[in-house]
Amino acid sequence: MTTMHTERTVDVNVNGAHHTRTVPVRQTLAAFLRDDLGLTGTKLSCGFQVCGVCTVLVDGRPVSACTYLAVDADASTVTTVEGLAEGERLHPLQEAFVDGFALQCGFCTPGFLMMAKALLDSCPDPSREQVVEHLEGNICRCTGYEPIVDAVLAAARSARGAEAVGE
Amino acid sequence: MWPEVLPTFALARPSTVDEAVDLLSDDHVPYCGGTELLLAMRAGLLRPEALVDLKRVDGLGGVATAEGRVTIGAVSTHAEIATDTTIRGSLPLVAEVERGVGNARVRAQGSIGGNLCFAEPKSDVTTVLVALGASVSLRSPTGEREVTVEDFLAGAYWTVREPDELLVGVHVPVHRDRRGVYLRYQTMERPTANVALLAEPAGQVRLVVGAVGEVPVARSYQDLDDVDADDVARSVDPIPDLTGSIEYKRHITAVYVRRAVDRLRAVLGTKTQP
Repeated sequence: MTTMHTERTVDVNVNGAHHTRTVPVRQTLAAFLRDDLGLTGTKLSCGFQVCGVCTVLVDGRPVSACTYLAVDADASTVTTVEGLAEGERLHPLQEAFVDGFALQCGFCTPGFLMMAKALLDSCPDPSREQVVEHLEGNICRCTGYEPIVDAVLAAARSARGAEAVGE
Repeated sequence: MWPEVLPTFALARPSTVDEAVDLLSDDHVPYCGGTELLLAMRAGLLRPEALVDLKRVDGLGGVATAEGRVTIGAVSTHAEIATDTTIRGSLPLVAEVERGVGNARVRAQGSIGGNLCFAEPKSDVTTVLVALGASVSLRSPTGEREVTVEDFLAGAYWTVREPDELLVGVHVPVHRDRRGVYLRYQTMERPTANVALLAEPAGQVRLVVGAVGEVPVARSYQDLDDVDADDVARSVDPIPDLTGSIEYKRHITAVYVRRAVDRLRAVLGTKTQP
């Protein structure tokens, strides 16, 4: 007989650090990251998988942390916006967002960055159309989308350039 | 506060289909990607005692071909189906539709079985599956039955699945010479109206209009010229909501049926050229 649990232990790698915690099964990954681990870079807005603000990567796949159970991340690798930079060195996507003024209030930015990372990890040379299509589930309410799309394309170019010079 | 938003529930993680089926009841519901179930729970619309997690159950995933049809495991995600080589080769229309479901996060998480069992009226997937004559296998403690997707969908958010039944797979007949198109009109996360139109080699045509009403509506014609878009628009039963009134949705239906006919005609025209 399979047993029912209202709490479970999760063993999860978040941005390279291992965490083993016992959590209520109803706890969302967003709450786990923000409240238990103090990783408040992941923001929450709609709570219904529509706006993309809470996007994080679980084993490389983009998910809405607002409606993803923390227990489902057991034995997985989670990457949040805090996992992008290496120390003081920003990720090419972050550099491109800064250089291209692709953020204003910044609330949607972690979600856009993670969504864009999911795309570039599987498709390093996307067309503009592919970027637009991939990001269509993320909402920005102040900057507008053109600078964001431009920044993702610029980041893809700079990552390819870095590869070409053997960096 | 956010941690309190989902109601309390228990989680079970069976590892076999038999174990999973034994656990199911009115209050113990199948759970996979959660892209619809967890949202409904958060909104207070559903309050199950327990979720029966299907993600660790053996034999519920993958795509297989046998006896002229492709079987898609219930827990296959939209993203997996969209990129599967068998689906892309044998059922390109299914791959195309799955590639456009929701957003990239929903596609990475949501399963085809969950999509069907939730019976969201504004589904891309149900429209194309009804058009293709797909069916589902339902396993219960006493056996297994097969139901066409058309019969499976009983209404908005309502299927003929019994509480102790588990949808284990979706079967889609493969007809290599069939040609089809899928069009939708969409302003938000889900289509306002969608149309799947298929032509058999012998000339018969199957038309399905979805998203406007509670369930997709199918019609068959002897010839593409017989499709009367205005007649179809009059026959659908639209649900008025924030995406439009009944009258507006009838109008959109007629427009998209006409466009589907034109598109299919173009596809068939290309195909007959040497």
